[in-house]
Amino acid sequence: MKNNHSSLRAQSKTASLIKLIVAAVILIVLIVMPFVGGAYIRNILILIFLYMAVSQMWNLLAGYTGLVSLGMQAFIGLAGYVLALTTQQYGKPIWLAFILAAVIAVVFALIISLPIFKMKGVYFTIGTWIIAEALYVFFANWAFVKYSIGYNITVAYRMNLNTFYYLCLVIGIVSIAVVLFILRSKTGLALMAMRDNEDAAEVRGVRLYRTKLMCFLIASVVTAIAGVALYLNLAYIRPTNAFSIEWTVSMVFIVIIGGIGTIEGPIIGAIIYVLLSQILYNFAGYSNLILGIIAVILIMVAPKGIMGYLEERFAWDIFGIRRRIKPKS
Amino acid sequence: MELLIQSIVTGILLGGLYAIVGLGLSLVFGIMGLTNIAHGNLMIMCSFIVMVFGTVFNGNIILMLVLAIACMVVFGFLFQNFLVNKVIDKGPNPALLVTFGVSIVIQNALQLIFGADARSIKSAFATVNVVSSDYVSISGAYLANFVVAVVVIVLLSLFIKRTRMGRAIRASANNVRAAELMGVNTKLMYSVTMCIAMATACIAGLLVGNTFVFYPYSGPQYLIIAFGVVVIGGMGSIPGTLLGGIILGLAQLLGSYFFGTGYQIFSGYIVMLILLTVCPAGLLSNAKRK
Amino acid sequence: MSEYILRAENLSVSYGDFRAVTNASLKVKEGSITALIGANGAGKSTLLSAIMGEHKPTEGHVFFEDREVTGLKPSVIVRNGIAMAPEGSCIFDEMTVRENLLMGCYQKRAAAKKNELFEKVYSLFPILKEKEKQLSSFLSGGQRQMLAIARAIMADPKMIICDELSLGLAPVVIGEIYEKLTEINKEGVTFLIVDQDVGRSLEYSDYSYVMVKGGMVMEGPSCDLPIEEVKDAYFGINKYA
Repeated sequence: MKNNHSSLRAQSKTASLIKLIVAAVILIVLIVMPFVGGAYIRNILILIFLYMAVSQMWNLLAGYTGLVSLGMQAFIGLAGYVLALTTQQYGKPIWLAFILAAVIAVVFALIISLPIFKMKGVYFTIGTWIIAEALYVFFANWAFVKYSIGYNITVAYRMNLNTFYYLCLVIGIVSIAVVLFILRSKTGLALMAMRDNEDAAEVRGVRLYRTKLMCFLIASVVTAIAGVALYLNLAYIRPTNAFSIEWTVSMVFIVIIGGIGTIEGPIIGAIIYVLLSQILYNFAGYSNLILGIIAVILIMVAPKGIMGYLEERFAWDIFGIRRRIKPKS
Repeated sequence: MELLIQSIVTGILLGGLYAIVGLGLSLVFGIMGLTNIAHGNLMIMCSFIVMVFGTVFNGNIILMLVLAIACMVVFGFLFQNFLVNKVIDKGPNPALLVTFGVSIVIQNALQLIFGADARSIKSAFATVNVVSSDYVSISGAYLANFVVAVVVIVLLSLFIKRTRMGRAIRASANNVRAAELMGVNTKLMYSVTMCIAMATACIAGLLVGNTFVFYPYSGPQYLIIAFGVVVIGGMGSIPGTLLGGIILGLAQLLGSYFFGTGYQIFSGYIVMLILLTVCPAGLLSNAKRK
Repeated sequence: MSEYILRAENLSVSYGDFRAVTNASLKVKEGSITALIGANGAGKSTLLSAIMGEHKPTEGHVFFEDREVTGLKPSVIVRNGIAMAPEGSCIFDEMTVRENLLMGCYQKRAAAKKNELFEKVYSLFPILKEKEKQLSSFLSGGQRQMLAIARAIMADPKMIICDELSLGLAPVVIGEIYEKLTEINKEGVTFLIVDQDVGRSLEYSDYSYVMVKGGMVMEGPSCDLPIEEVKDAYFGINKYA
């Protein structure tokens, strides 16, 4: 028995060593990419990082916390407007926009948490969406943000694109790290318990409200920071695009395609989504249509997404979220 | 003062339209516990279908409607039978996401086929004022919306309450196992429910197209209205949709009266959020555990 | 046509890796009351649900009136003339008593005789007539069980299957329900009853089967079965453990 355990442990050690090496190689490739890959690849990678980051957050809520939100565009839109106002209206630097966006996201998330955390299940889903729509109508009628005219974010043209690339890379990595950290902590265990059986978890003393709220706040902040970067990339903002459900639509696509409730899912999903949108770019109008059809087919045949399928088939688990009982020596 | 009365009257009449927009959503939720995210886009699809038949048959409104309903009932059956029924036993999320995917497909397909232009459905009574006095004027379209909505809601309530099939549908919602043991094909009842929901969506689509202009991307806007109606009235309650519609209509019109026209929709949303917070299960909730 | 209205031959049912019923056979003679006895978890309800088509058996066949019905959907099987009175919780508690009964005669054949059937059911269970406008969630346990049986009668069936007939009921009520069953049986309806009350099952039935751990261990005319041995089997004592 003892031998068996130690060989098991040795196996898992080599496995994690291999994972580490692979991760390091990928990271090095991503770091040198701007110098070898050219502007087009750099731009695609930026999009992948950012979409992956926001999808990680949607997945944290929908896949792990059971909070299916259709209102994440509220945070992206707010972040975009913070960027536009700080840099265009007040001529302040970009980094300030990131900080302000994060702060405003937390405050806004805290405020809306009061009503929406009273709503359960599908009511939560609807409530979040209504909030985002209300923001849209409000901004479209608000003189301070120039009504529906919006802003061109000119500072985006003057920034160093390589720096921007690294910033997005960091945002992407941080989003993964945040989710990993949460899931490996005690909170993560509570989350799993909660997702599996809310009532039972509550009885067992899991502080549901605080756990949910914490995840919601974290998701809001990361989404807002990624939102600033997304609008630096887009370089203009209007209420229609800022608070568009399209943002959340893409998050849902990415998470479903990749696999809901897995960390790998949003990564795979984001790569597929961004590449597919690029390929379908030339068939304007068809791209969302085809993505929609793909999503429906995937839910029908592989409801757990690509990652869920691989996990079931080959017991893939890159990040090791699942807790293994440590063998006693 | 005149304006206030006008706002109230218009709000209530608009509420009738909103009620029928939300009716199908409420029915589907009440019977199979499914939140049909595609409802808004399906309704707008109905508007387009009615419009197409309208140009073909030169505005015979009954014929347009009957043909459109026939199309949508077939569509609803296929949608339920081959997509939703396959995943509805796998927990709430897969079915929700299927309707989400279908919603995106419909919206983009409409945009491809019809372009992004504003459309409307012309009819003889759309522009006529039925009542016009010093205090209040009522347009034919709004009055027709309200009357049709009330009639449809009453008929549907009676159907669900009194008929053999209505009972079987309720039985399927109440206890799937017992219903199957009585010889009810519950999945078929789900499909029938979806077909009925699509028929009401057709009527809603006609009325919306007759009252306002619509675009291929108008769906989500009406989905939110439907949500609001259903959430206020209580998910699954058929009479509740009328109450929900009227409250929402009044909220919008009074919001616009007090805060300016720009805030019409905004105040609707705020009232929805407040009501959702205060009574999270709706005013006349009849939601089924699923 | 054979004298058996229902035949289940060598049925096996599994839930995933767990085998709930193994190679169980059961025959119900037309016009009889047949009992299926067994402890909790012996696989009785699983066997019934396999007969009714709620679970697909992994092996074996089910014949009703010599027609094979294996693997058909429950809604199809009941059309052949089997009605099931599931455990008391399986009534439509959001509908009135009368609506529940109307669901009983959902099939066209029974619906044609609706009034006649209502009369029959109400004379058997007057309490249900009294409460016909009430929501069935307000009924007591015994009344729910009566409703379940009455609803089965409304289907005008050739055979009624009763699951967990006396579960959670007071002894007086159990006696009353068994008396009603005998009454209905005299009019030609075959019964297959599943019950935990060994004494009464044997007393009221013509033929009994005893199930232990997913398999049949004993069968015979109810009056001939040694009650002590049936109880041993039931409680899992000595050779049946």
